[in-house]
Amino acid sequence: MKFKSFKQKLALAAATTVLALGSASVAQADVPSWCGPKKATLALLDGYGGNSWRQVTTASGKQTVSLCPSITSYEYADGQGDTQKAISDIKGIAAKGVDALVVFGDAGPAVLPAITSVFKAGKVIVPYRVNVGGKEGENYTKFIGSSFENDGANWGKWIKGVLPKGGNVLFLSGPAGNSQGLDELKGLKSVLGAEYKFINPEPFDVTNWDPALTQKVLTAEIAKNDKIDVIVSDFGPSLVGALPLFNKSNRSIPALATSDGNSLGCFWTDSQGAANPDFKLMTVATGNDNVRLAVQWAVAKATGGKDPEENIFKAPVFEDSVSGTPSKVQCRKDLPGAIYLSSELPADDQAKAVGK
Amino acid sequence: MNQTADTQVTMMPLRNVLSSPLNRSFMTVIGSTLVLLVICAIFAPSSISLGALSGSLPFAAIIAIVGLGQLLVVQQGGFDLSLPGAVSLAVVQATHYPQQDNALLLPAILIGLSFAIAAGLLNGILVSLFRLNAIIATIGVNALLYGGVFAVSGGTPSITTELLADIANGEILGIPNSVYFALVALLVASLVLKKTAIGRRFEAIGANPLAARAVGLPVKLHQLMAYVYAQLLYCMAGILIAGITREPTAFQGDSLLLPSVAVVVLGGTSLLGGRGFPISTVLAAFFLNQLSQFALAVGVPYSAQTIIQALALGFGIGVYSVRWTFNQKKPTQ
Repeated sequence: MKFKSFKQKLALAAATTVLALGSASVAQADVPSWCGPKKATLALLDGYGGNSWRQVTTASGKQTVSLCPSITSYEYADGQGDTQKAISDIKGIAAKGVDALVVFGDAGPAVLPAITSVFKAGKVIVPYRVNVGGKEGENYTKFIGSSFENDGANWGKWIKGVLPKGGNVLFLSGPAGNSQGLDELKGLKSVLGAEYKFINPEPFDVTNWDPALTQKVLTAEIAKNDKIDVIVSDFGPSLVGALPLFNKSNRSIPALATSDGNSLGCFWTDSQGAANPDFKLMTVATGNDNVRLAVQWAVAKATGGKDPEENIFKAPVFEDSVSGTPSKVQCRKDLPGAIYLSSELPADDQAKAVGK
Repeated sequence: MNQTADTQVTMMPLRNVLSSPLNRSFMTVIGSTLVLLVICAIFAPSSISLGALSGSLPFAAIIAIVGLGQLLVVQQGGFDLSLPGAVSLAVVQATHYPQQDNALLLPAILIGLSFAIAAGLLNGILVSLFRLNAIIATIGVNALLYGGVFAVSGGTPSITTELLADIANGEILGIPNSVYFALVALLVASLVLKKTAIGRRFEAIGANPLAARAVGLPVKLHQLMAYVYAQLLYCMAGILIAGITREPTAFQGDSLLLPSVAVVVLGGTSLLGGRGFPISTVLAAFFLNQLSQFALAVGVPYSAQTIIQALALGFGIGVYSVRWTFNQKKPTQ
């Protein structure tokens, strides 16, 4: 009896050992190459976290961090659009002893001195998406930008496909002189020739990415221009309230090259019909996943992992109503309009992130 | 009857027209608007096309409604700087609570109105009972209201319900529904202010609170209620914006503060309190909005838009600071 019991225990121990070793090797295989063995702490710092795009981005950053078991603690701070608070957040988090900081520097070069002081104190600091000036290795560890020229070029190629003989282009961007809009225009002009006429004031119509101002601007442009063949906008969802103005003026909604959003996809789906034969839609991914690349670099540098291969985030084309590739226009009516189906974060997780 | 008396009789109506503050403000705003429309017709005819008016009138209506709210507070010698927070809170209430469920729209509006009454009472109590400076008190309440905006929405925009979008964007007889809302607000404000005892008392208290107190009028109550009425109008504007823009930001009220003061001044109301002119204020809202659309149509950079609003404010102050004394002297010469 005793012997039998001993055998049972031995078998159980052996099985447990095999299972433990097996799961350890699986866990080892799941750890990404950018996650090294050294333990570290990480913080994600937003300059302005008050919109759904940022909330989805923050959730994406957190999910990326969770893939690396070497990161022992993760913190987040929101500058709430206040440059002074953003600077204070950067310095405060570093003073607390956090090893790696990923910074969305909304205030631009205004936060560079704080970033530089943290870098000089020996921390890993990775600003991303918004250019804060300075140089890699002198002011910060690494800057992970987004190729907005690439977005412009993608829009341009699509426009050439749907309007091969040229046409009138209306380009809307955010605040006056913002570098995102200027880079997108470079990309557009690298593809579109003189047969494509930009009918907006140079370099773009200013909308501040505000739906109300977008509506006012579009009202003026529709009244001024009898012929608008295509609208290019770097924030598609803000156009949803304004596009019905075309129908009010007894005109079809023109083709639209923009960034994705669930509300826009659903608006396109609902607007298909005899009234809008020209309403074709192409979107590039709105770029929430830019943060993933920035987090990967920060983790790699802080934990001794392998540097990621990419140095810059390129938003892929997401929807195309004409070719259906890489996907048709998507709409999830069961989920909030303020989520981004292009994001790697599953739609349901985004809905939770934006508080629904 | 001698020659002087004859002259006096024939000049009376003209004197009345030019010396009455209402007529003076009305004539100034009408005159400015007509001049602007002529300039639009010459330099940017597209800005007065039917399509452009249909698209821009809802925003003029919004400015008119918040302008009427600001007017009531200015009449009591105050300023309401809690307008941005109040409008933004109404916007997020009208979008976040229903979450695109039409059935929940009415409760959302009622909740929004109750918040507006609470905020108005808070403003009013701080200013009239505790005698805090109106600017300081309303700035504080504005911060509180923005706290509410974050608590409700987390700063995240949400999409409006279809029903609200249909109501706010719909048209009756070719005129946007939002314009009818502004007209109803104008009608109620004008009738109450000009045709009821409460309204006349309200104006008298604004003109001279000390004299009003001396004759036994409830000064504090009227001052307090001015902030409550104003909040109700801001709430109405916020709900309309939520419908008009479909996916509004959580900070939609920010851009309305300067226009609200500008239209009150352009409408001829003294910033020191007293008589107010709702009709002139609403016309001034149309003028200011049209000025903005004209600037957009001729391609004026966006940075100039705020300057244009500020210039309009300066123009209003300048025009009403001029004393038209020559009109009053003429008959007696």
